[in-house]
Amino acid sequence: MSAENVELVCPAGTPAALKAAVDAGADCVYVGFRDETNARNFPGLNFSRPELADGIAYAHERGTKVLVAINTFPRAGQPEIWRKAVDDAARLKADAVILADVGLCDYAHRAHPELRLHLSVQASASSAEAIRFYHQAFGIQRAVLPRVLTVPEIAALCGQVPIEMEVFVFGGLCVMAEGRCSLSSYATGQSPNMNGVCSPASHVRYVEKGDKVVSQLGGFTINTFRSGESAGYPTLCKGRFEANGRLSYLFEEPTSLNTLSLLPDLIAAGVTAFKIEGRQRGRAYVGNVVTAFRRAVDAIRRGETPPAIDLDAITEGNRQTSGAYERSWR
Amino acid sequence: MSGAAKLSLGPVLFNWSPERWRDFYLRMADEAPVDVVHVGEVVCSKRQPFFDKVIPEVVERLTAAGKQVVLSSLALVMTERERDGIRALTGEETGFLVEANDYSAAAALKGRPHVVGPLVNVYNEGTLAYLARNGAVRVCLPPELSAATIGCLAGQGLTEIEVQAFGRLPLAISARCYHARSRNLHKDGCQYVCGEDPDGMVVDTMDGKPFLAVNGTQTMSYHYANLLGELTALRDLGVAHFRLSPHACDMVAVARLFRAVLDGGRSAEEAAAPLEDLLPDAEFANGYVHGREGHRMVQGESLPSGIL
Amino acid sequence: MVTHRADQPPRPVDPPFSPVLLAGLALAPVPPRLLQPLFDAILSVVRRRHPDILDRLSAYPDAVVGIDPVDLPFTLVLEPIPGQPRLTVCRDFDDLRPTAVIRGPLRMLFDLCEGRIDGDAAFFSRQLVIEGDTEVVLALRNAVDGAGIDLEGDFAATVGPLAAPLRRAARMGGWLFERMSRDMALVRSAIVGPALRGADAQSARISELETELAEMRRSLRHRERRA
Repeated sequence: MSAENVELVCPAGTPAALKAAVDAGADCVYVGFRDETNARNFPGLNFSRPELADGIAYAHERGTKVLVAINTFPRAGQPEIWRKAVDDAARLKADAVILADVGLCDYAHRAHPELRLHLSVQASASSAEAIRFYHQAFGIQRAVLPRVLTVPEIAALCGQVPIEMEVFVFGGLCVMAEGRCSLSSYATGQSPNMNGVCSPASHVRYVEKGDKVVSQLGGFTINTFRSGESAGYPTLCKGRFEANGRLSYLFEEPTSLNTLSLLPDLIAAGVTAFKIEGRQRGRAYVGNVVTAFRRAVDAIRRGETPPAIDLDAITEGNRQTSGAYERSWR
Repeated sequence: MSGAAKLSLGPVLFNWSPERWRDFYLRMADEAPVDVVHVGEVVCSKRQPFFDKVIPEVVERLTAAGKQVVLSSLALVMTERERDGIRALTGEETGFLVEANDYSAAAALKGRPHVVGPLVNVYNEGTLAYLARNGAVRVCLPPELSAATIGCLAGQGLTEIEVQAFGRLPLAISARCYHARSRNLHKDGCQYVCGEDPDGMVVDTMDGKPFLAVNGTQTMSYHYANLLGELTALRDLGVAHFRLSPHACDMVAVARLFRAVLDGGRSAEEAAAPLEDLLPDAEFANGYVHGREGHRMVQGESLPSGIL
Repeated sequence: MVTHRADQPPRPVDPPFSPVLLAGLALAPVPPRLLQPLFDAILSVVRRRHPDILDRLSAYPDAVVGIDPVDLPFTLVLEPIPGQPRLTVCRDFDDLRPTAVIRGPLRMLFDLCEGRIDGDAAFFSRQLVIEGDTEVVLALRNAVDGAGIDLEGDFAATVGPLAAPLRRAARMGGWLFERMSRDMALVRSAIVGPALRGADAQSARISELETELAEMRRSLRHRERRA
């Protein structure tokens, strides 16, 4: 794969964010319906059917593709909600749907043989065998890799699978293998797989204590911030805990993935698409990050080193990491 | 199906010494009233070589004792070595069932009878039907499902359905080792510090409330699942197997209590106190099957009796 | 310790010592009800030009959202009741029991409305404080951000007696605002610096006590286990 055809896949939680992403140079925008069928089922977010139709029209007029994430796991006994989401995405001429559940992949493959299927990161397909399984069984044409692999592992993988590989390059970072984590439902009863939410806002409380803010999730204290200290959303795996007699960010610091400097390596590894996380973030975030990555990818295309771009201000905890792409992260 | 529910012993998820591991299984072979026993490293491929030399003896003794042996596969498969491990486990016909804990194993087992483990996402009848067509004969469901969902899946009659009824719940798996991280180490140079905590390393919140347990790259519940009170209701919903996940406590005694309740020899209430005595430090939870937070212990609420 | 360092913004619940604060002091004697027509006008602009905001909030018909521009002497209460939403100006939230409260300097609240800054980033940096039902706040944030508000354009489209003052207010700012902000930051650090040092010492003591409490809980638990 060369820099010529690498795609920038950008998040949009609202029509305004979709316009911001398209205008900032996104090759693809990914979105979700305003319900539990996608993994960013956050209050006030996402698209109604008419909004999606308008969004697709806006994007297609400007040569941008729209991908619809239907990447939660359908509830037993109620597959219609998820199947209808797939049907509607196909009817509205989405360029692809992004799926995680085997049963839903099976449905989409049979009901809409012409519809392009991408495998969501929530399916957590981390090996060539797992990816080939989804390709052979359901005709999946692109897999979003879980954020567990190093760059050399990704390079090896790209050579062993017959489909396109997409990787995350910026934004929030799951430290657990995606789609295989029930920490959220353990504390709150709601999980990414079942409800499309992780550490849901409905169970979050910020309690002011003196000069500190204590963040709680489902009654469990996740972190405490002093005055002037950068705060984080109380996502369970980014909290401070005590283990082995020591208080620390046991799982991960509040931080954002940023791989601007790794982009050339990822392209050399054979990656087809770069994904930016953040459908739940505002249009200011979308505009800034997409602009930065557009400049970087265009620079690589011209054979230049990607420019250093300061994205500190929009990162969680004002901190950045290259995550699992570097082996030492493990 | 009701009345014939079986007990299964899950794979040892913790990093026990090979001697302890071997002795544990041999005792279970001789004394524990379980029908099925899972053997194999699920959490971390770095631990695997230590058990390879004792596995044949353990499998032989379990088989001789009349237990159905199931070989469990690794949950997170990334490296060449791990892929080789899956190929070796699923490649040749050994006469033992294999439990697939990810889709690389499930794909390799296509067309052959196999078990699907709790670390594969089976949330609905569509996925269950696909896996049944692929050859699955039994599916152990993920821990976060409610009784309504469990009942709906068991009611399909597509495969046997299994539910974990005892022990810390596997909540997440990662490429990163948190046991190593808690000692300022990396996974590559981990010094196998996970071996220091036979039931996992307790994780407290900042205000001293116990919350989770870390087992190397796996994150588990602090609370021990305890479905003594839900066994018969779940069995009536069609659950055919109840999984006991091994801990350092007297697992033979644990198995006897669960067996007694399933057989009607003791009521769930009668078995509750002896189970607490076996694990004086443990806190129990059953929230998930009640459709609640996983850490909750719900009492005095009955499960839905019919399917969804 | 001086208050303003680039990496250490002042506590968000403190009103920023800013031109808005001065304007707010001037407004202080004005009864809030006299300002109500202004906010009725704003709400009607929102309803006409951005119906999707209230649509996105339709899942929270009973919510009472308090909006506290910390540098002004009044607060706002938004009730997104479908069909008859209300935006009420009042002195404080005392007897209203809002479901959720958003606090921040007026300028930041405007920037958030217009999508010029990222709500998460503002929150992560502690310049924005939220209390109460986080879900409602998130819904409001997402709804407002998704609407693509442009205050100047929205006000420019306003007709009637309030149009001219609204447009003037929207243009207020710029050079004068920046210059005044810098001067006032200096005055602020001179006046409130010593008081903050005292507060810091108290916080440190509270934090020590909390650590002790957590320790005691832990040792109690271990003792219970042994018993």
